[in-house]
Amino acid sequence: MDVGPLEAGMADVAIFCFLASYTVAFALELLRLKKPGRLGVLAGIVFLVAGFLAHSLFLWNKGRSAELPPLLSSSQDWILVLAWLVTGLYLFLVCCDRRLSIGVFLLPLVLVLVGSSYLLEDRPSQLLDPDVRARSGWAMLHVSSLALGSAGVLSGIVLSLMYLLQHRRLRHKSGTSPGLRLPSLERLSRMNWWSVVVSVPLLTVGMGTGLVLLLSGSAAPDDLTLADPVVIINGLSWLGLAGLFGWMLLRPRATGKQVAWRTLLACGLLLVTVVGLSVLTSSGSVSSRHASWSPQFPERCLVATGGHR
Amino acid sequence: MNLQVIYCNHQTSSLDLRERLAFTGDEQLAEAYSQLRDAFPGSEAVVLSTCNRVELYTAQDNDGASPTQQELAGFLSSFHGVPLEEFLGDLLLQSGPDAVGHLFRVCSSVDSMVLGEPQIVSQVKEAYRLAEQNAACGPLTNALFQGAIRVSKRVRSETRLAEGRVSIASVAVGDFARGIFDRFDDKTVLVIGAGEMAEETLQYLKSDGVQEVLVVNRSPDRAEALAQQWGGRGYGMEHLDEMLARADVVVAATGSDRPVVDLEMFTRARSGQSDRPVFVLDLGAPRDVDPAVAGVDENVFLYDVDDLQETCDRNRSQRSGEIEQALAIIDEESERFMRDIYHRATGPIIKRLREQWSEVSRAELERLRSKLSHLHDDDMDQVQQSLSRIVNKLLHPPLEALKDEARDGTPHGLLEALRRLFHIRD
Repeated sequence: MDVGPLEAGMADVAIFCFLASYTVAFALELLRLKKPGRLGVLAGIVFLVAGFLAHSLFLWNKGRSAELPPLLSSSQDWILVLAWLVTGLYLFLVCCDRRLSIGVFLLPLVLVLVGSSYLLEDRPSQLLDPDVRARSGWAMLHVSSLALGSAGVLSGIVLSLMYLLQHRRLRHKSGTSPGLRLPSLERLSRMNWWSVVVSVPLLTVGMGTGLVLLLSGSAAPDDLTLADPVVIINGLSWLGLAGLFGWMLLRPRATGKQVAWRTLLACGLLLVTVVGLSVLTSSGSVSSRHASWSPQFPERCLVATGGHR
Repeated sequence: MNLQVIYCNHQTSSLDLRERLAFTGDEQLAEAYSQLRDAFPGSEAVVLSTCNRVELYTAQDNDGASPTQQELAGFLSSFHGVPLEEFLGDLLLQSGPDAVGHLFRVCSSVDSMVLGEPQIVSQVKEAYRLAEQNAACGPLTNALFQGAIRVSKRVRSETRLAEGRVSIASVAVGDFARGIFDRFDDKTVLVIGAGEMAEETLQYLKSDGVQEVLVVNRSPDRAEALAQQWGGRGYGMEHLDEMLARADVVVAATGSDRPVVDLEMFTRARSGQSDRPVFVLDLGAPRDVDPAVAGVDENVFLYDVDDLQETCDRNRSQRSGEIEQALAIIDEESERFMRDIYHRATGPIIKRLREQWSEVSRAELERLRSKLSHLHDDDMDQVQQSLSRIVNKLLHPPLEALKDEARDGTPHGLLEALRRLFHIRD
């Protein structure tokens, strides 16, 4: 079948395209701190939107070529979907109030996520087994809950940082800088609370469905157990976050600053764990069956284990 | 066209004089416009009277009816009953492009006491509205004031002249209170004392939606009177403890020589409430709130006049850096305005001249068409284009001369010469 030049061009979108766009948008955001101006804001939005479109197109192409949603096609795509969610959230906030300096906090995270995707595996799924296809609904629930929960965790980190910065400015009696506009403490505190309250249940669903897939799994290899280092470390990070969740519900009168610090610690730990483990397992520094098997890669695992079923 | 302004402002005259020459209230202004119409029937007039300036703009479409500075000063003197010699030296007169530039500077807040303050635009708009209501303005003042409002918008959007707050109350609310609270309609404001600055702060807070206002004063009657003014409730000093515990925003502005809110009292009020942020604004000099109050817990945000003054000064100096750019915009816009105004005066003559000559060329073309009927349409088109070119080339020198002259004002002499030379009638 003949492919038109437009379609061919769309298929050529690479990670570098949107990574470059986001980098320019971030540079413009930094420039705005020094020299605020409408032109800089607009240029930043243009680069951000261009990057977001390229990013969406990339994920769409990947999903189409793997005949699976991007979340299931590879661990690289999973992290790119996470970056896409965070960028979407940033775009939404920019649309609500473009004077707010949220990009300074969110864009570095996006860049870290997109940049770290270079270090992750990008083997296309060979998920062709009809039995595994029947279970892809559970797998989809597992990875999408984890992705959405992780996006909530990332926003929790950013909101906490913004809260602490705003709190510090107000306590030190520094006037607002025209280049760095932050939301009020009241709003940041509310948004922070919601980000934790929403992301912890989502992560719990992700963990729960992962467990279901693991225990019931005809597709999982026999040596994939709960004692796997990835399962243990992720489980511990989740426990930390669940602890924060419980503390927030039990201590409704906690100060915004206390919530911000604890969110920053718990969410930061989870972020470092998830990204760090993904990179370490991809490079082979940590040996884990979970890394070579995942709901999105059962077939690959089967190939690796010599068709053990 | 003649356009002039006679004025005194905060730079040229004392507050006392400005108060005596000010036009206060719609009725007084209506009377002033009525007298201006009688004194200068051929003139358009707009009075701009604020606490920082009294300005009288007049404009005429022709040379004849232009009032002099002496006549306008005489009007101010007789209207307000202030002897001329008491203020003539403080009055300034600008005319033509200078008058245009002056209004543009005023409206853009370059000429304001507080550089970049936004109120002046609405004051200019209101002044023009009242002149219009009293049938005192006309096409020239209309163009002038619309132009001034447009220029002020441009200055605000293209420079940072209006960025950063410069009054204590606006910095307190805009830079700090809004950094703590997202909304104010669910907050309780406690005002201790009744200073002028507290009132200004309350004004900002009310415009942000504050509903509940509590006023505590040594005199409960005075507290009640003030509270009623702001739709709140008034209490005597003995209720201060109780009110402090309820407040999200505390504005203290008493004349007391020692702090009225001490550490012990505040700690008691904050007991069990450390999760709730409180914004404490101490506008007293000497201080009304013990500075140690800031350390009671991390959700206490205490500011005094010195803290806010620093931000005001910084913002003020930032604004000063934008003046040059603002003035460049104003100069450019003044020049464009004058060009448009003069073009308006020369436009009808140019139009008539073009029509007249085009009519001659059309008539000649028709005559040629009837005589040379063997010519094809293409040939006739060529002839028509040649004639048009001839008309344009012949018109070019006089119109260019007119345009050149119009740069320095309405070229009445040249317009009259053109009328006579080419028999142009209105």
